[in-house]
Amino acid sequence: MAVVFGTLGYRPKSLIPTIRSTPKVDKVVFYCGADPKEQDAPKKVAEAKAAVLEYCRSMNISAIGIELDDPFDFKSIALRIRRDVRKQKKEGKEIAVFNIAGGTRPTSSAALLVCILEGIPTVYVHDVTYEEIHLPLLRMEYNQVLSGEEREILRILFKNRAKMLTEVELAAIVGKHKATVNHHLRNLVSKGAVRLEKHPGDARKKIVMLEESTELLLGDDE
Amino acid sequence: MRVLVSTFGGDDHAKVLSAMKSLPYEKLVLVGEASVEDTEGFLKLRHLEEMSGHDMDFEPVDTSGFMETVEEICDVLIRCSKDPESGRSNLVALNISGGSKLLGGAALFSAFRLGTEAYHCDERVTKLPVLKGATAVDRFTTSQVKFIMSIKDGGMLFDELLRTLQPAGRQAAERTLRILRKERLVETELRSGKVHVALSAEGREVARTLGVAGTDLAACADR
Repeated sequence: MAVVFGTLGYRPKSLIPTIRSTPKVDKVVFYCGADPKEQDAPKKVAEAKAAVLEYCRSMNISAIGIELDDPFDFKSIALRIRRDVRKQKKEGKEIAVFNIAGGTRPTSSAALLVCILEGIPTVYVHDVTYEEIHLPLLRMEYNQVLSGEEREILRILFKNRAKMLTEVELAAIVGKHKATVNHHLRNLVSKGAVRLEKHPGDARKKIVMLEESTELLLGDDE
Repeated sequence: MRVLVSTFGGDDHAKVLSAMKSLPYEKLVLVGEASVEDTEGFLKLRHLEEMSGHDMDFEPVDTSGFMETVEEICDVLIRCSKDPESGRSNLVALNISGGSKLLGGAALFSAFRLGTEAYHCDERVTKLPVLKGATAVDRFTTSQVKFIMSIKDGGMLFDELLRTLQPAGRQAAERTLRILRKERLVETELRSGKVHVALSAEGREVARTLGVAGTDLAACADR
């Protein structure tokens, strides 16, 4: 059995054809949210959501329509979607496809980002021609780009992100010599995953900071 | 030189302004449909750049198809990554927030394909998790790259492919085939009792990425 993910704007017809054309769907998860600057948006989004839910109910497919708190907050949306996708995967569900056609631009882009990071088949519906385009997505296997030690350092930094770890403190947690950890840190800096900043209290020391993007890279359920 | 490339839709110059304020750059390049060149937002951005003594480049792209747009944006990013006069490498940052969903999505796709530093700049600025220089090339071994690039222009019988893959032997080639099939990059079928191998849609995308990254069979031999 498979799960269909989607982003939804005002047009239920941008999502329903994907549900219909995907075999063995037993669950649909979709994200929607109204632009607060548009007066009619909440009504239009609610109508579109109701239409998709009604279609799924009629087809005996379970469906969850998730209203995003802020459909323009790219990072929060990406983290939320990634968490939901991973939850489905952990439950052993196959994610058949993610339709990224509807919703705000940040919602659609955030969904595409998750698809690239999680290797989910993605479908886009052209705004003008309504043509359904299946994207030949590549999963970015960062496990193969980053060494095991680099991944371990990123995980430790992520878990300790509230603290300001120096290189020496990090080496102690990792349980490796400072020179070895420094070597991996240099690689991570050149890949743009971490940065080194001066310690506010001691100019001789450096603090290791995770780049904001690494949170998106790892996902917040790591 | 630092180059800021931003997608642009004509009515969303505030997103480009957000990128201009947040990211250091010496040269601004806008990517969008040809029609945006006449918009007020475009003229405003050009005026701002002129005030600072710089030109602003505009790269028109055709957004009628997703992958076609990806190809065009990749071309822009590759051109921007080198100074044509000095031949030196430029540092390129890409903002994907402007323009249509298709343009933004295609720009995001291109950033991952080329390992280009990328951002989503709006009221908030989000750095995207593209590792610098990390592309699909890094996922594959030399023998896998050689296998993919050997059939990028069309499928062939496995026995013919074996000759191309020499000095690798049949056993090694079969192992590579099994891995690439498992990853759904290569498809096989029996034709008159012989195995025919070809790239899947995903496999063709990998081949394009490898091609864009300058990976060819000669390079494989050096790796």
